Amino acid sequence: MFLQQLVNGLTIGGIYAMIAVGYTMIYGVIQLINFAHGEIYMLGAFFAITFISFLGLPFYIAFLVAMACCAVCGVLLDIVAYRPLRQSPRLAALITAIGMSIFLQNLAMIIWGSRPKPFPHGALPAYFEKTAVTFGGVNLSWFHLFIFTITIVMMVGLNLILKKTRWGKAMRAVAQNKTMAALTGINVNRVISYTFALAGALGGAAGIMVGAFYNAIYPTMGYVAGVKAFAAAVLGGIGSVPGAMLGGVVLGVAEALGAGYLSSLYRDGISYAVMIIVIILIPAGLFGKVLKETKKSM
Amino acid sequence: MGKVVLQSAYNRSKVALQKTSRGAKIRIGLLILALILPFLPFSTDYILHIAILVLLYMILALGLNIVPGFNGLLDLGYVGFYGIGAYTSGLLTYHFGLSFWVIIPLAFINGAIWGILLGAPTLRLTGDYFAIVTFGFSELVVLFLTNEIWLTRGPLGLPGIDVVSIDLTLFGGPKWEFIGELPYYYLAIVMVLVTVFVMYRIQDSRLGRAWFAIRDDEVAAVSCGINLLVYKVIAFAISAAFGAVGGSFFARWVTFLSPDMFKFWESFLILCMIVLGGMGNIWGVMIGAVVLVSLSEVLREILPLLGMPVNVRFLAFGLIMVLMMRYRPAGMMPIAAVAAQMRAGRVKRKKVKPAVGIKK
Repeated sequence: MFLQQLVNGLTIGGIYAMIAVGYTMIYGVIQLINFAHGEIYMLGAFFAITFISFLGLPFYIAFLVAMACCAVCGVLLDIVAYRPLRQSPRLAALITAIGMSIFLQNLAMIIWGSRPKPFPHGALPAYFEKTAVTFGGVNLSWFHLFIFTITIVMMVGLNLILKKTRWGKAMRAVAQNKTMAALTGINVNRVISYTFALAGALGGAAGIMVGAFYNAIYPTMGYVAGVKAFAAAVLGGIGSVPGAMLGGVVLGVAEALGAGYLSSLYRDGISYAVMIIVIILIPAGLFGKVLKETKKSM
Repeated sequence: MGKVVLQSAYNRSKVALQKTSRGAKIRIGLLILALILPFLPFSTDYILHIAILVLLYMILALGLNIVPGFNGLLDLGYVGFYGIGAYTSGLLTYHFGLSFWVIIPLAFINGAIWGILLGAPTLRLTGDYFAIVTFGFSELVVLFLTNEIWLTRGPLGLPGIDVVSIDLTLFGGPKWEFIGELPYYYLAIVMVLVTVFVMYRIQDSRLGRAWFAIRDDEVAAVSCGINLLVYKVIAFAISAAFGAVGGSFFARWVTFLSPDMFKFWESFLILCMIVLGGMGNIWGVMIGAVVLVSLSEVLREILPLLGMPVNVRFLAFGLIMVLMMRYRPAGMMPIAAVAAQMRAGRVKRKKVKPAVGIKK
């Protein structure tokens, strides 16, 4: 029982971590809570299901293509909605982010309908359901392993991108100080676009995996997942990538164990409560820098 | 010389008188229109129902306006207080049969208490964090209402809440029960008038001035001796209290409550009214409520005909918010201070000339 919950928590936590990383990277470069990030995650799942059912693509190809589409969506979101407001107060950008989130959610509802959609029969590889490993009475399906693998690969890949590549270096520079980064010849807007692309791809991948895991995709799925991932980002310390990863996993485990042992009715409430408590007690999170309180919020 | 001064002073006061009287004329005209609306030939129960909805959202939007409009903080959890007020009213009526007139102050106080409880620890934070905490709070309120079945009957909802009544039997008088939309309409008008009156008085009071100072520049406000946290908590508590009053009216009007009525959508809709009308502008906010409630009801009629779920109407509201922030960030009826604030970055960049050797 405990182990089973732990495994479930780790699986979902890894997925939260992938979304949370997107929040934290975007917050890092433009100091904006991108409320619409949860919608990118939802779009990822819908893209995948559409590619599978209309174009007949195999699951893995659809997975990659949908990730690419989400990256493009992220960039478009930035260019259309956020870039014109770069010089505006944060309140304006924040309201725009909420507006975009609601807009995309309802757009999806118009395009795909509001009922939960399953993946078409036989679209998911058949071995996903089969048990891969059994230990201590816990069955780990291949699908669990698939999610673990993808999560770890993407996290490691992201770290490599951020630490080793020129673009990663540029992203970190922009996150530290936009003006100085621009002075050293970095094209700040392009770096922000890359960040949105990266965050969008990760969010999209997370959406596809959750959609396949529960085999239900619906327009409001991004809303709850987005808030939980944001809670994870806050827990880890917003702006910190390793923090978001750890926060996601911790939150996923806390949620699974809390739902198992305390009350499954308050499953969603656990992440909200964690978020509020963390924000009140340790606003910098586990790994975060202390926020500049003097920075005007409006 | 003295005569000229007197003359110009007289002229000025005359102009001022004309100006105020024109504004007053419009206000009185609108009020009369509102008062005779039920007797106009085209008004049906449906029209009255929507009119009451408009008035209810006016109260809510005016209440919310205090936080983003007067203080410049984003509050995403307003509907939590609305829900608290509604359930306060509903449960007190359901279990104890309290009168509406007793419940109103109780709901006001209950809303304020929750506002203080939530605001005191969180208003220290920067605006983004505050926004997200309020959001989490309202979600927790909905979860609580859904899951604590022993108290709220959960998703089944709370039916059969008594209607509002004026009970004079204690003094040997009659007892009137509010049946149909008409009495609620006038009750709502009275509540809106009281709310507007309070808002104007607050706006022009020491409290309001302190809020505007905080909104315009926190550092400057602190250096004028304004205690940021105290004033922000007061703002949040008053805002929450008005939300709760709106909720308690709502409960007694529809006589049925369910947790679904208090989801994030409502917060979003109310926020949208403020953004559309003009943050901080009392008239703008009220007009925002009229426009958006009407739009919402029209879309609610049209969308099913197109075979779409009713909630799709929020697509329009999302779009309105994005477009407003892009093109008219201070709303359709902007007030100067907010307008300057919302484009601070752009104006500053043009004005500031970098001086040699001086760092900003």
